[in-house]
Amino acid sequence: MNNIDTVVYLISSLIAISAFYVQGQEFIVSMIRGQSVQSVLIAVVAFIIGWEEKSYDFFILGVLIIVLRAFLVNYFLQKRIPRQKVYLYERKVSLSYLFLLDLIFIVISVFIIYSIAFSGIVLHSFLGNSGNSAVLVFPLTLFFQGLFLIASRRTTFTQIIGYVEEENSLVLFAMFLLPIPIIIEASVFLDVLALVVISSIVVLEKFTHEPVEELRG
Amino acid sequence: MMIGDILAVLVIIIPGVAGILYRSGIRQASAIGGAVDLAVAGAMYFARPQVGFFFVQNSTMVFIIMVLAVYLMSTIYSARYLKGVEEMGISEPTYYLLLNLFTVSMLFSLEVNNYGLMWVGIEATTISSALLLITEKTETSLEATWRYIVIVSAGVTFAFISIILIYYTLGTLSVSAAIASNVHSRVMVLAVSLALIGFGTKVGVFPVHTWLPDAHSEAPSPVSAMFSGVLLPTALYVLYRVYEIEPVRQLYVWFAVISIVAASIFIGYQVRYKRMFAYSTMENMNLALLGFAAGGPLGLTGALLLLLSHSFGKAGAFYSSGNVLRFTGKKKIAEISGMATSMPYTSASMIMSSLAVTGAPPFGTFFGEFLILADVLSLHMYAQFIIVIIFLATAFISMNYNVTGMIFSGNKPNVENDRLMPALSLLSAVLPLFIGVFYLVVYIEIL
Repeated sequence: MNNIDTVVYLISSLIAISAFYVQGQEFIVSMIRGQSVQSVLIAVVAFIIGWEEKSYDFFILGVLIIVLRAFLVNYFLQKRIPRQKVYLYERKVSLSYLFLLDLIFIVISVFIIYSIAFSGIVLHSFLGNSGNSAVLVFPLTLFFQGLFLIASRRTTFTQIIGYVEEENSLVLFAMFLLPIPIIIEASVFLDVLALVVISSIVVLEKFTHEPVEELRG
Repeated sequence: MMIGDILAVLVIIIPGVAGILYRSGIRQASAIGGAVDLAVAGAMYFARPQVGFFFVQNSTMVFIIMVLAVYLMSTIYSARYLKGVEEMGISEPTYYLLLNLFTVSMLFSLEVNNYGLMWVGIEATTISSALLLITEKTETSLEATWRYIVIVSAGVTFAFISIILIYYTLGTLSVSAAIASNVHSRVMVLAVSLALIGFGTKVGVFPVHTWLPDAHSEAPSPVSAMFSGVLLPTALYVLYRVYEIEPVRQLYVWFAVISIVAASIFIGYQVRYKRMFAYSTMENMNLALLGFAAGGPLGLTGALLLLLSHSFGKAGAFYSSGNVLRFTGKKKIAEISGMATSMPYTSASMIMSSLAVTGAPPFGTFFGEFLILADVLSLHMYAQFIIVIIFLATAFISMNYNVTGMIFSGNKPNVENDRLMPALSLLSAVLPLFIGVFYLVVYIEIL
C-alpha cells in the first residue's frame, strides 16, 4: 500500500466515523452538519482519485458533491427546522442502546455482505493495485449506517439524513469500483436533491412518525 | 434525427407541456394533452425510434399505451373527484402539474436506453408523485406520504448498486447492448439479485412492499389508479430489463411465488376496500413477475396481457372506490351495503373490475394468468404452480366475497348524483373484458 492509498483509507475511515457521529447525535443541526462534513470528505476522496487517475470527471464529481450535498442539502434542511425548542432535538431516544445495536448491526452486515459478495471484486482504479478490494468496506459501512439511521429514528429530518448517507455511500462505492458516466451521476445528484426538497416540505406538516391505526395490516 | 426519434421525444414531453398553462386551463390542457399523446404513441407504433438514446420494442409500446390511457382517464376523472375534496393539501393546478410530471417520468423510464437514466426516471416518479398523496390532507395521508418517500427511496438505492455493478461488468449502461452482451459472471448475478430488492420495492415484492397499501389507500382515487395501473408495471418493466441480462430464474420465481402467497393472505383480512385492492395489485404484479421470470413466449405474452388488462381493471376498481368514498364518505368494507340500489352504475363497475383483477374468465387477466401458469408448468415447476393456484383461488374468493357483500346486502336509496365518475369507472372496468374477448377471437383465428 503506497502513501496515496493510505491517505484514501484514512479519509474513508473518517467518513465512516462521521456516519457514527451522526448516529450518536440527538440535535438535528448537529446531524445535518455531520452529513455536510461527510460529503466534503467524499469530495476530497474524489479529488485525490481524480489527481491520481488524471481524470477530470472526478473533479467535476467532487465539485458536484460539495455544491449539491454539502451545501444545498444542508441549506434546505437547516431552513426547515422549526424554531420551537421541542423540535431542535429528537426526544425519547436511548442513544447508548441504539449505538450498541448499531455497531452490532454494522459489523455483522458489512462482514457478511463483503465476504459473500464483494471480496473477490477487482478494483479498476489505482486502489486495486494492492490486489484487494478492502476499501469497499467503507461505502458498505456507510450504506448500512444510513439504513440503520432510517430504521432506528422517528423524526423526518433524521430519516432524510439517513437517506442522504445511503446516497453518499453509493457515490463512494462507484468511485472506488468504476465511476459511472458523469452525466448520469449528475442526474442522480439532482434527483436526490429534489427528493430532499420534497421531503423537507413534509417536515413542515409532520415532524415525527409513529404507527397509525388506519395503516396497520 | 429520424421521425421515430421525434415521436419518442413528443410522447415524453407532451404531458409536461400542459404545465405551461399552470395559471389557467391546466385541467383541460392535461386531458387534451393525454388524448394527443395517445395518438402520437399510436403513430410511434408504426415509426419507431432508432436504437440509440431510445429503446422501444413491441413490449415497450404496450406499457406506453397503458400509461397514457390510464393517465387520460385519471385526468378526466380528477376534474370531478377533486371538487368533493374537503381540505386540499396542494392546489388544483399543482395537482395536475405533478400528475403530468409523474407521467413524463414514467414515459421517460420506459423509452430510455440506459439503466442509469431508467433509475433516475424511477426515482423521479417518487419525487413527482409523493405530494399527490396529500391531495386529501389528513394525518394518515401525511404519514402514508412519508412512508412512501422513505421506504421507496431507501429501497431503490439497492437498485443503484446493481446499476454500478452492471457498468463495472459490461462497461456500458446501454440496455440494448447489455441484453445482447451475453456476459455471465458472479458479479452480474449479484447485480440482478440486488435489482430484485431495489426495483422490487417499487414493484411490490414481499417483504419490501410495505409502502404499497399505505400509499394506495391514502392517495386520491385517480392517483391510486395510476399507482396501481401503471407505476408498478413501469417499475416491473425496468426490473425485467435488468433481469434479461442474467436471468436468475429460481430466485425471481420464488420471490414472486412468496409475494403472491403473502398478498393473498393480506387480502383476506383487510377491513378497508382500497387497501384490499392495493394488495390485489401486489398479487397481480408478482404474477406478472412470475411470467417474466419464467421467460418463455407463453410467460412473456401472459405477463403483458395480464398487465394490460390489470391496468384498466384496477383503474376501474379505484375509480369505483373513489365513487363510493365520494357518495358515502365511508372507507371500511363493513360500513358499505346496498350498493346495487344506492349506486347502480358504480356497483356494476366495481363487481366487473373486481372480477377482472382476480382473473375471472373471460377477462384479459384470466388469459394472462393462464399463459403464465402454462409456462411455469412447461418448466416443470410443479410446486410453484400448485402454490400459486391455491393462493390465486384464495384471493379470488376473499375479494369477491367482500365486494359482493358491499353490493348485494341490503337495500338503500340512490345516492349516485354524478354521471361522469361512474361512467369512467364503468368504461375502465369493461376494457379488460374487451381485451379478453379480443385475445380469444385472435387466438381462435390463429388456430
